[in-house]
Amino acid sequence: MLALTEIRRRKLQFGFVTGVVALIAYLIIMVTGLGLGLYDAAGTALLNLNGDHLAYAANSNLSVIRSRLTEADVAEVRALPAADRATPIGYVAAVVEYAPGETDTAAIIGVVPGAFSEPAVVEGGPLGGPADILIDRTWARLGDTRVGDTLALPIGFQTRDFTVAGIVDQGYFFFQPAMYVDIAAWRELNFPGDPAQRPAASLVLLQGRDLDGLRGEGWRIVTKEDGFNNIEGVQAQQSTVDALRYMGLLIGAMVIGVFFYVITLQKVSLLGILKAIGAPGLYLVVQGLLQVLIVCVIGAALAVGLALLTKATVLSSGAIPITFTNGAMTVSSISVVIAGVVGSLLSARQVASVDPIIAMQQQ
Amino acid sequence: MAILQLRDVSKSYGQGARRVEALREVTLDVERGEVVALEGPSGSGKTTLLALAGALLTPTSGEIRVDGDDITRYGARARTRYRRDRVGFVFQGSNMVPFLTARENLLLVADFGDADRPALRRRADELLDQLGLTAVRDQIATSLSGGERQRVAIARALMRDPALLLVDEPTASLNLELGTRVVDALLGEVHQRDKACIMVTHDDRMARRADRLVGIRDGRVLTDTPLR
Repeated sequence: MLALTEIRRRKLQFGFVTGVVALIAYLIIMVTGLGLGLYDAAGTALLNLNGDHLAYAANSNLSVIRSRLTEADVAEVRALPAADRATPIGYVAAVVEYAPGETDTAAIIGVVPGAFSEPAVVEGGPLGGPADILIDRTWARLGDTRVGDTLALPIGFQTRDFTVAGIVDQGYFFFQPAMYVDIAAWRELNFPGDPAQRPAASLVLLQGRDLDGLRGEGWRIVTKEDGFNNIEGVQAQQSTVDALRYMGLLIGAMVIGVFFYVITLQKVSLLGILKAIGAPGLYLVVQGLLQVLIVCVIGAALAVGLALLTKATVLSSGAIPITFTNGAMTVSSISVVIAGVVGSLLSARQVASVDPIIAMQQQ
Repeated sequence: MAILQLRDVSKSYGQGARRVEALREVTLDVERGEVVALEGPSGSGKTTLLALAGALLTPTSGEIRVDGDDITRYGARARTRYRRDRVGFVFQGSNMVPFLTARENLLLVADFGDADRPALRRRADELLDQLGLTAVRDQIATSLSGGERQRVAIARALMRDPALLLVDEPTASLNLELGTRVVDALLGEVHQRDKACIMVTHDDRMARRADRLVGIRDGRVLTDTPLR
């Protein structure tokens, strides 16, 4: 097979092109991983809630931060016939002291202990009282926090100690590891002043059908996915990452296309000779595309290996929100291969249009 | 019947004031077992005649028959098949595929379709042996000497056992001794296997080894001299 033999015999030339393809594919895999990581960090804890709809305050513009529901709002939502189950949840960002003088921020989510909003623990036990806290495994890993440890959360100018009752696997919310406390404790954390002025919840988590779009005087219901997409910055962030990815694919297609176009131009006389001695144009086009395919597949495979190596070394601390999934890496790799083949169509056209008379004009 | 018949063949390039008449109403027959040397100055139309006989070009007017078939009526696919199966080209400077070995250059034609691969492999080894190339059969084309490359080119042209060989300046880059060996190899193949050959050459000593010498000037056949 002419295509394979040429690759085998011209290792330096094709190795160089493969290296460039690998770097482009690596960039696209990393950008895709960053997009997934940021997506996760933006609010997997919200998406992982055991419900399908969320009720927001009517004047919150679907912002979890601004949404404050009264007891009456919560009761009204709970009484909706379409709601099979409903439970209030609260959100506040807090600086958590996990060791003397060592602090970090976390997303504190208030839930009713025992309600369907309380996440399942992967280690330890559920919330047992107002001083218990469930922490996400990302926090447990970063802060080396274990079940039974104490975390100090601020209430006004004071702090209150919470005991880690269990570890959950819910992810992030607003780019902070999620922690779960009794919603009564959340009210104190979020509104340390007059108890009478405290809102009942940030949101109401619902299970049921035909809830999307329902509104009351002080609340409105949307799907959980709509709620996620309205988290501040999520849309802009994902659009930016998508733009970077598509730009990478476009640049990849152009670079691979130009490389193979130059290689094709260098071989025009040879292609003319091959056609003159009876090589069909389709045979030569197939050989060219086969070379592109081989180079792109090897380049993409190298990029996957490089990405996994990066994950195991540079990114092992988890400080950079990059997530690799098999699906994302497969899609990114296939995208690079397709971009390469599309980019090389110009070369294929060039190959097809070579006139065999060139063979007679080589003198 | 002559294997190759050209009847009133003309070929022009360009249009209007830039029109160039490369061949003018050329009539020529080439018989089996015959080597015809084409000689003439640069631009006289020798290479155009070769390209027309090899279906690399189509004539502006006239008729070209090979074994009775009018090849000027062939479509693109039929021309490709004709070049693959019925004509053997030897280009000036050999024009090997540089990253293939001598043997692989011969076996290349097996990739172009309708091939009995084991038979072609046997044929390749047989031709390499006949042309004294067995020792270099696994060498990359770029590492072969000029004479070896030219003999590989002849072997490649003979791979599908074509009835017609079209040879363009086969000795241009070779010294007299090597050039003579290359042309003798070609003559031997044509005479022994009853093929026909048109050989374009500027070298009068090589042209004199052919069976006929055809002189072309300004696109016209001026002389046609039997040498045997």
